[in-house]
Amino acid sequence: MKLLFLTLYLLLSTSADADITDNLRWSLDASARINVNNATNNTSGIYALGLDTHKVFTGPTGDIGYTVAQLYFTKLSNHTPFPWMFDSKNDSEFIIREAHVNYTAGPSWLPNIRLGHFTFPFGLEESIDTNGRLLDYHHGKNLGAKLDWGLGLNKVLKHLEYSMSYTLGGKDKPQSINNSYALSGRIGSLSFHDFVIGFSFFDGEIDNIKRKKVAIDWQYYWGTWGILGEIALGKDNKQKYQWQKEKTALLELNKTSINERLKLYTQYVFLDRELEIAPQRLINMGLSYQLNSKLEVSMSARKQLTTPKSAEKEALFRLQLRLRY
Amino acid sequence: MKTLITLILLILFSQSTNATAYCSLRDPVAQIAQLFPQKTNQLSIVKEVDDSIRAQVKRALPSNDLHFNELGRHTLYVVMKDKQALGYVHVRSEQSKWGLVEIIWAIDKDLTILNFAFQRCRSPKKKIINDESFKNIFIGKNFKELKGLLSSDGISANELVLAKVQDAPDLVNVVLRCALKTLLITEILWGTDLESFK
Repeated sequence: MKLLFLTLYLLLSTSADADITDNLRWSLDASARINVNNATNNTSGIYALGLDTHKVFTGPTGDIGYTVAQLYFTKLSNHTPFPWMFDSKNDSEFIIREAHVNYTAGPSWLPNIRLGHFTFPFGLEESIDTNGRLLDYHHGKNLGAKLDWGLGLNKVLKHLEYSMSYTLGGKDKPQSINNSYALSGRIGSLSFHDFVIGFSFFDGEIDNIKRKKVAIDWQYYWGTWGILGEIALGKDNKQKYQWQKEKTALLELNKTSINERLKLYTQYVFLDRELEIAPQRLINMGLSYQLNSKLEVSMSARKQLTTPKSAEKEALFRLQLRLRY
Repeated sequence: MKTLITLILLILFSQSTNATAYCSLRDPVAQIAQLFPQKTNQLSIVKEVDDSIRAQVKRALPSNDLHFNELGRHTLYVVMKDKQALGYVHVRSEQSKWGLVEIIWAIDKDLTILNFAFQRCRSPKKKIINDESFKNIFIGKNFKELKGLLSSDGISANELVLAKVQDAPDLVNVVLRCALKTLLITEILWGTDLESFK
């Protein structure tokens, strides 16, 4: 944390900006999400109000770096099971989402240096941000967390881009807990092309669970259609004293209207864990509609195709209204 | 209550924010390097495209409008070679029948088009970008000269231009509209800031 503040101080002191609002973007971001779970006969809500900021620091000869800072007040309503950062099903918390500095002013051969709380560079999530959306690539579930505090190196080169990070494994806490850590990275083709392919790895210990994974992800866009996928192979020691192999796959077909207001997607998710009787399979379908530049309504439905060993098949419907002002 | 209703109406109908979270913003560094291979860095100037800019675009280019993604805060990049400004880069989107076409424009210091590349284009005709005669329709021209390429409807290219690109008329219309809006907005919004780089 001290290192983050020191870096911020250095950026501010070397920046030629006249005042702090130069090159600053900020938005108030409010959302209300309703979840209806037919399997558990439970209706719950998540309400969030936050500040999303982005600032570029410049010097006389160019950009020095940028910061992203997102702080959200988040309230649960009857949310069971409740996410790990909350204490009860009706709890409320201030949550830091992304909060990092990326130093970009080094020579062309030197990577950019990122410091702070950021999303693990792994899989589809690296080029498609799902922060605050119903669209989900199961980053947190697959890796044990979605974001973590630490240090990263990243660069966009002529034909490829990469991002590597070493983080502390404390999730929302900038510290290592019980020797937690995470080493993660992705190297891929340029993410604005019509065909994108990437390779990722993850080696970490979070919440006393060790995970090792490698993955391949791809995106292909044809007109207003897109087909995306991520396949990961790995192992973890969720079961005590024993490593368990795991295969996960996600396949998505999406369609966007020509004015990009309406986005539709359907996902097929497959999870095969060693020592479990049958693989889990589920389908997600969703849409989002941008009413104007501020207001978006989205909904999604999830249907589990296989019955888990200790629960009923999940059938979840979610509706979200999101306002950015 | 009246204040609350006014506030809600203001939020719903005012049009100048970015719809996506800022953590998804990416600088087009690979494309800037493609257009200016000798660059050492870029210097960002972030400004807000608001309703007054939108109104000025509508006045200068009747029958045209800005897509809602084009409102909010946007970046113009001054491309630097050490302490010297080589030109400017701006990315702008234009709606097409294949979704949004994102074009990265390299602009000279006298606000003429130096070069351009597709950042995102899903037209089946997108390879026309490699055709010199297609690019030369736009390169070296300023706003006034490009506006002269419009037909009387104000949104499509005139017959002389279309004759040069017979197999991609829709795409040339999209690129022309995007070029016009880019040069116009660059001058209106960043003109004062760019004086010091001339």
